[in-house]
Amino acid sequence: MTDIKKVLFVGIICFLLWFPQGSAEAGGNIKRGEYLAKVANCIGCHTENREGAVPFVGGRALKTPFGTFYGPNITPDCDVGIGRWAEADFIRAMRYGVRPDGAAYFPAFPYPSYTKITDNDLRDIWAYLRTVKPDKRPSQAHDLGFFFQWRFLIWFWKWLFFTPGPFENDPRQAPLINRGAYLAQAVGHCGECHTPRNFLGATKSNRYLAGGKGPDGKNVPNITPIRLQKWSDQEVKYYLTTGVMPDGDVANKMMNEVIQNATSVLKPDDMSALISYLRLLPRLADESK
Amino acid sequence: MNKRLFTVVLSLVVCIAFAVTAFSQMKPDVMVKQRQAAMTLQGKYFGPLAGMAQGKVPYDAKIVARNAGYLNVLNKMPWDGFDPSTASEKSAALPAVYSDNAKFKKVADDMQAAVAKLVSVSKGKDDAATKAAIGAVGKSCGACHDNFRQKPM
Repeated sequence: MTDIKKVLFVGIICFLLWFPQGSAEAGGNIKRGEYLAKVANCIGCHTENREGAVPFVGGRALKTPFGTFYGPNITPDCDVGIGRWAEADFIRAMRYGVRPDGAAYFPAFPYPSYTKITDNDLRDIWAYLRTVKPDKRPSQAHDLGFFFQWRFLIWFWKWLFFTPGPFENDPRQAPLINRGAYLAQAVGHCGECHTPRNFLGATKSNRYLAGGKGPDGKNVPNITPIRLQKWSDQEVKYYLTTGVMPDGDVANKMMNEVIQNATSVLKPDDMSALISYLRLLPRLADESK
Repeated sequence: MNKRLFTVVLSLVVCIAFAVTAFSQMKPDVMVKQRQAAMTLQGKYFGPLAGMAQGKVPYDAKIVARNAGYLNVLNKMPWDGFDPSTASEKSAALPAVYSDNAKFKKVADDMQAAVAKLVSVSKGKDDAATKAAIGAVGKSCGACHDNFRQKPM
């Protein structure tokens, strides 16, 4: 094929892939996907943190003890975004933390939580992402400490700390609790900030939501019942909707973003489910300094 | 010399000395408690306004105006509690308060300016402008907290 035909061919394929499928259920449901993408706060890591930033083109710095990560461009652009991906590529990325070319993703991308999202929900999110406006802004390379640049080391990390697989309902619990668990563990990925991590950067599974460090290095509180019992359901709901605490204090910058982007859009049933689930967690003491 | 006169004068001098020391420098832990008390009351009177500004509770212009007035006085109070002698006390204040004191003063001034604006706007009839002013005050709380406060784990 001549070059111009190649360009046209790829261009037409990309256009067809990008063009919304309408309300076809054969792919995912775009409206449901939009809701899930908001609760998952994709925009938080994949958009610059400034006025007028273009959604999903990446550039947001995530500082960690291993270096600074920059969320990539996830618009459907064919050259610098994920325009050439198929739905299966996206599901594989979220479920297993691997790129379409087989390389491992750094777990700064919270696939250890997203792995629990169900296939159907992943399809919905994918359908929504296809409707995002493509943008040609290239992704920024991560700025990592020497040792931590080697992606193949991630396989070792995964072997030690990562178990892929979608969320499974606990048959002993009510549907409301299972829904709350799914929202917290999978989509909301609350543990990525609220669970303390070990020296290799993996969350400590026996310290779920006992408090950790946020991406800005600030302390993130313990939200197990040992702390949460001080607030009523109404106060928790109010905080997750407005960012205002019962004593009139306001959420800090990072959590305020989470509230604006994600928790404030939770449907009333989902909000109740989330709070009900949080009330049932094991009571864990604060992290010692 | 008259012994009685001497005793009286000596007692007076000692009493004045005690009084002067008492007023010249509060103990650091007391200063921390007092500035935290001022902040607590700011939270008390700001809280209801934030809900109103976001449409989560019914808007009451009288409460807004009253609370804005309280905040306008309260928000002048914490600052003399941030004395370097309190740096080693247990509190949520970060060392940056003292190492970056110019910026700390600036965000404190910005917050007072935001509250002053709220006071004047809340006197008028423009609910939308008042809600915007409340939002600006909330932002000014965050502007200081994000850089100068770290709640202990």
